[in-house]
Amino acid sequence: MSRISVFAVFVIVLASCNPSNKPGRSVKFQQYFVEGEQLYTLHCSNCHQKSGKGLGLLYPPLDESDYMQENLSDVICLIKNGSSGGLVVNGNKYNQSMPGIPTLTDLEIAEIATFIYNSWTHDQGIIEIQQVTKMLQECNTGS
Amino acid sequence: MVFVAVAGLISSCAKTEKPLPIFGQREVVNGDTVYHKVANFQFVDQDSAFVTNETFKDQIYVTDFFFTSCRTICPIMKTQMLRVYEATADIPDVKLLSHSIDPEYDTVALLHDFAKRLGVSSDRWHFVTGVKDSIYKIAQTSYFATAMEDKSEPDGFIHSGAFLLVDKEQRLRGKYDGTKEEDVNRLLVDINRLRKEYE
Repeated sequence: MSRISVFAVFVIVLASCNPSNKPGRSVKFQQYFVEGEQLYTLHCSNCHQKSGKGLGLLYPPLDESDYMQENLSDVICLIKNGSSGGLVVNGNKYNQSMPGIPTLTDLEIAEIATFIYNSWTHDQGIIEIQQVTKMLQECNTGS
Repeated sequence: MVFVAVAGLISSCAKTEKPLPIFGQREVVNGDTVYHKVANFQFVDQDSAFVTNETFKDQIYVTDFFFTSCRTICPIMKTQMLRVYEATADIPDVKLLSHSIDPEYDTVALLHDFAKRLGVSSDRWHFVTGVKDSIYKIAQTSYFATAMEDKSEPDGFIHSGAFLLVDKEQRLRGKYDGTKEEDVNRLLVDINRLRKEYE
């Protein structure tokens, strides 16, 4: 391959990259985001959709969510432990139970959180594994 | 030369007018072909109304098998079925029928809430519950779809993600993967092809 075509491929690859490619984001952020996107597609997108829009009043949206904005530690706990009591997002009550995924590691949860908190309307920056570990220790699993 | 051109023309016309297949066994009785049809059924929908073969008289319908607590393929199927619902909003003779394969858990009240949350009307989309064995039997023998209990599965059931297209004579005319957007696109095209048969 000539130098020009290698360059062209490189440009195309760069251009096709997802919104993680924001200027000023660290390599670590990019890694978290890309891994998080794959985990999200595997574990979350069935219900919450790839678009993050959820489904009707059955599965709450993530793309615009006051609940996410106000309850980071609850979201971290939800991903690990699930929820069955119902919750209110953007003024709507959702009552389907969400299964937790207890097999996820703290790192994987940090990656998912970094993805969802920096996609669609969100721009929260990286959510580090240390933060996640601390939040998980404080989950209220009794309720 | 002329013959080839004419043959080419004919075959290109025939291609666009080719009817949808008719699924299942057929037999010839007194010179008439008798096709496989959906067996008689009676279920109850989200409004506690009976849903029978009569409900779909002079109607084309699309049907599937799911359960509300399913977390694997059902949400994708419901997303896709919602596309069918929206795409057929202005077509009076197309209806949707979703059977619960967990009818003991999926009560009328629960299905009512589910449909309401999905934002759909029982005039066009029936969510039905009923006797479990009747639902499994009609899935397998009438619609050639898989639906049964299996405790080894994560949610306790195995079922196909198929959408089935049924014509006004209650014959099966198409089978689609309800978890794949492209396959559901094909269903939407086929609904219009099927409607043309009745024009």
